[in-house]
Amino acid sequence: MEGAFSYAPAIAAFPLVAFVVALVFGKWMPKKGAIAGIAATGASLVFSLWMLAAVASGETYHETLYEWTAGEAASEIGADTIGFSFGILIDPLAALMLVIVSLVAFLVHVFSLGYMNAEGETGLPRYYAGLGLFTFSMLSFVYADNLLMAFMFFELVGLCSFLLIGFWFRTRSAPSAAKKAFLVTRFGDYFFLLGVVAIAATFGTLQFAGDESFVAAAEAAIDDGGQLFGFDAETWVTITGLLVLGGVIGKSAQFPLHTWLPDAMEGPTTVSALIHAATMVAAGVYLVARMFGYYALSPTTLAIIAFIGGFTALFAATMGVVKDDVKQVLAYSTISQYGYMMLGLGVGGYVAGVFHLMNHAFFKALLFLGAGAVIVLMHHEQNMWKMGGLKDKAPVTYYTFLAGALALAGIIPFSGFWSKDEILYDALIVGLEEPLIMAAYAMGLLAVFFTGFYTFRMVFLTFHGEPRSEAAEDPHPVGWSIKLPLIVLGILAVVAGIANLAPVAKLANVDITFLEHWLDGEYGGIDEVTYSAYSELLAYETGVISSEQVTVLIAAGLSLLLAFSGAGLAWKLYSDPEPTAHKERLGSAGTVVEDNYYQDEYQVWLAEGVTLPLARVADRFDQTVIDGTVNGVSTASLFGSSWVKRIQTGIVTNYAALLIAGFIALLLGLGVYGGWF
Amino acid sequence: MMIEALIAVALIGALVTFVAPNRVAGKLAFAISLVPAAISLWLFATFDGSGNALLEGTLAFESQYEWIQLGEYSISWFVGLDGISLPLVVLTTVLTSLAIMSSWTPIDERESQFYGLVLFIEANLIGVFVALDFFLWFIFWEAVLIPMYLLIGVWGGPRRKYAAIKFFVYTNVASLLMFGAFIALVFGLGDAVTSFALPEVADAMVNGEGIQQTLFGLEPTTLASLVFVAMFIGFAVKVPVVPFHTWLPDAHVEAPTPASVLLAGVLLKMGTYALLRFNFTMFPEQVETYAIPIAAIAVISVIYGAMLALAQTDLKRIVAYSSVSSMGYVILGLIAYTQFGVGGATFQMVSHGLISGLMFMAVGVIYNATHTRLVTDMSGMADRMPVAVGILIAGAFGYMGLPLMSGFAAEYFIFFGAFGADFDYAPIFTGLAMFGIVLVAGYLLFALQRAVFGPYSLETDYEVSRAPLHDLAPMFVLLGLIIALGVAPDLIFDMITDAVDPILEGGDS
Repeated sequence: MEGAFSYAPAIAAFPLVAFVVALVFGKWMPKKGAIAGIAATGASLVFSLWMLAAVASGETYHETLYEWTAGEAASEIGADTIGFSFGILIDPLAALMLVIVSLVAFLVHVFSLGYMNAEGETGLPRYYAGLGLFTFSMLSFVYADNLLMAFMFFELVGLCSFLLIGFWFRTRSAPSAAKKAFLVTRFGDYFFLLGVVAIAATFGTLQFAGDESFVAAAEAAIDDGGQLFGFDAETWVTITGLLVLGGVIGKSAQFPLHTWLPDAMEGPTTVSALIHAATMVAAGVYLVARMFGYYALSPTTLAIIAFIGGFTALFAATMGVVKDDVKQVLAYSTISQYGYMMLGLGVGGYVAGVFHLMNHAFFKALLFLGAGAVIVLMHHEQNMWKMGGLKDKAPVTYYTFLAGALALAGIIPFSGFWSKDEILYDALIVGLEEPLIMAAYAMGLLAVFFTGFYTFRMVFLTFHGEPRSEAAEDPHPVGWSIKLPLIVLGILAVVAGIANLAPVAKLANVDITFLEHWLDGEYGGIDEVTYSAYSELLAYETGVISSEQVTVLIAAGLSLLLAFSGAGLAWKLYSDPEPTAHKERLGSAGTVVEDNYYQDEYQVWLAEGVTLPLARVADRFDQTVIDGTVNGVSTASLFGSSWVKRIQTGIVTNYAALLIAGFIALLLGLGVYGGWF
Repeated sequence: MMIEALIAVALIGALVTFVAPNRVAGKLAFAISLVPAAISLWLFATFDGSGNALLEGTLAFESQYEWIQLGEYSISWFVGLDGISLPLVVLTTVLTSLAIMSSWTPIDERESQFYGLVLFIEANLIGVFVALDFFLWFIFWEAVLIPMYLLIGVWGGPRRKYAAIKFFVYTNVASLLMFGAFIALVFGLGDAVTSFALPEVADAMVNGEGIQQTLFGLEPTTLASLVFVAMFIGFAVKVPVVPFHTWLPDAHVEAPTPASVLLAGVLLKMGTYALLRFNFTMFPEQVETYAIPIAAIAVISVIYGAMLALAQTDLKRIVAYSSVSSMGYVILGLIAYTQFGVGGATFQMVSHGLISGLMFMAVGVIYNATHTRLVTDMSGMADRMPVAVGILIAGAFGYMGLPLMSGFAAEYFIFFGAFGADFDYAPIFTGLAMFGIVLVAGYLLFALQRAVFGPYSLETDYEVSRAPLHDLAPMFVLLGLIIALGVAPDLIFDMITDAVDPILEGGDS
């Protein structure tokens, strides 16, 4: 299978070609670039599966393909020279993610035929070019073998989200949302880049894996117990790790940089599906998984990751409860679900976090595409209160959406249950020893209730009851290009959990945790970037309640109970044929939640109420004080102005000609004088 | 003789264009400008120099002729190229050709004089980068000012006279300071030098004894510090560095587009180039001594320049102030005094030349159609000028340091080089300066959101039509170069670092 990997660059190259083709020739192509995109992502999918098979057969790939530049490292420790390069790292994690990304991208392209082309959108070449560039950037990010390359494509992912969120640029809201998305994530990326620079300057390498990796260097430095930039090694690893985490918090929309994500719903729903399930938002969490070894070296960083994750999971879930727009509900659910992944990774549950990343990619793509189908059905109405009764009129959409909803709510046996349960279990056993983690666990657990509630509130309002608008009574039909992706993802949302039935494995003592073995490199892997290698680095103590089996049952039971209660409450409140709003019961708390805890307000205030006035003050200062001094000096020395005035009154033609003639004469004269001729 | 040919073609071209009829001047000047561009690319392709031109490096295309004897000192025609100057020469010639093409639409009076002056500037700019004798260099340095003064003062906007005078007087006073400082340096070196050849002066400073003479009652060490500071200020005006920057926005706003392109693209680099050649090559000790204040100036230039850009509503003013910010990065890279720092600073000179040129062209193309540059006057321009706006957006992201474009490479090199620099608190200074990457995204995206996105509306009476191909073509070329350098920085970074290394080794010894 060695030959397989020589085709790895093609996985990213296909969508790049599609980008160029759609951008340049899209206007004249039959589907405005869609065919190129579908062909390219389809090919990427096939090649990604090939890589997956290659890894399954025991091979891995780690190769520097192109040296960007190299030079003196001037690093604290490590090599004298540093190379910045583009390389490919295909290990079990990357291979899995490649398949997820290319699959979702492919399905989104297919779905776009029905969602964008069939709906008569203009600017489609731009749309497909954007999707192509997006897929290219994400795939390149996924198999990047070093932190700088990862950063570069991470940024390009940000660019693509800007372009696609702002796709409908003729509106006021879409460009604003696009700007916000880029700016907020850029704020996070500032820390990320500082982290990259710091790590490079410290260890003289940015490789993720191998003996030369910064992870290995950091481990060695901690063992040595030396000083790095005036800190002891572990503190410095914590600091740099947190800096990189800034980028993760921005892109994965974790508190407090989550505010861009709900606004990003201004983009086409297909774009939301891609952003939330497989590209931009996933990129953040994937990065934590990619350099998990580095985080594992610092218990402080891990605890912070876990706490941010748990908090975000709960925080976002409560906001999802009161939204009326179907896409808004999904937006907050995304923030919340990525919070779970962060929680999982933060407690050392590497497998659980990655497992949830995978399951979430499938069910969230499904839910967004399902919402897209609903929006088509509803003639572009997104308010759930105007829907209702779509269950019987659009069964494919309904049942697939329901599968996604059950997975999201974490109802057994749908995929989301298994991964979320594993995260909560991992958090619980660590939490039994560490109070801070216990708090994170408690928040994550409580969020399950809200998740169940808002998910089924959405399902009931959208699909059940009586139609509450003309559009709902007479839905626009949807074609196969819409149904097919839904069915594929629907199946995955149901069965993907099989990949890692950890509770069953623990209770029945059978060996069916395939994903864990996969990530542990038991089929094929690279030594230092496996689950067990990470586990050795982790400093967490774990506890159990009486026995492992009992703990498993308690954890699963609690989360199921809460999920069912949430769903049950939604059923009780919203399953009437003519459901009514219950928001007023929340009182003032409802207002706070509806206003998203004023998170937007304070961030807009920081930008427009602090930075902008400060800029204006600087401008006034510049014009009055600094420039005033300059002008003052010049008018005081009248010499300057009167002298220049004389130049100006001359006729420019003559003057300029004279000037040049004079200059040449001077040169010639000096030349003759100097004896050149 | 290739360097002489380069300058001669531009000079003779300038004369020919001067006397050519107005109606053909633009095309003629463009055709002529292709010759220096071609020659410089040929120089680039056949470059065989190594090391630093001032520090015993092997010069490429060197030529030296005795010129005049001035008392004990000889002055010569001495030109040559190393890895630092060659990329800047190529930048100059390529940008000149493109700027000429981008003038075809906006310049509609006194064309022959306009294009003649542009070619005249080109000749002198090349001269600045190739000259290795101080007097020769200073002639070119000063000669750049006059045509630029005229370009702004004759073809500029409503306040062109004020802006042109300010530009001229301000930078000229700075030159005077720098000139005096350099002469003091040469006298201070005493018998160690017998000419104004820059390599000789640099050698005396770095490898020799340095300043030994007492001048005007100043001790040699004090004199060295004074010379360093005076030269720094002299060049800082040109760069410009805060607080000497106020001539720049006025000059840019009033200048016609092609003049802005050359002003931001190349003229500002004269300042940073001179800083590198003089201050940072000849004074390794003072660089170390003044590291912290200079780093502070760099950070202030980056952040303060960006804050000023944030407060503007004129697209050209935004780009002008952002140049102040970008030049702050160059200063940061220089003061880092590491290979990536100084190399990155040089890379940034080229990169910023391309990107700011692109931005000014794009703003100019929009201005040609709308006759306004105020973001408050227009909305949704993307609807009417999709290609031009597309390029503007690409340029804006280039400015923001989007990876795979040259700006990112430059900034990353500088940040990396500065983070590990030897002076105290280098990581803190780097971290502060890096916040510029957030601010730059802020002001550019705000401007884009208002001017090019949203529903179409325009507050002027002009009918907007798509830009002609000859307006777009130069921008595509620049975009191509920006991406090429972003993907393959080693196209020039290799030769830059090769020329930078001796400077840093000189610093160690």
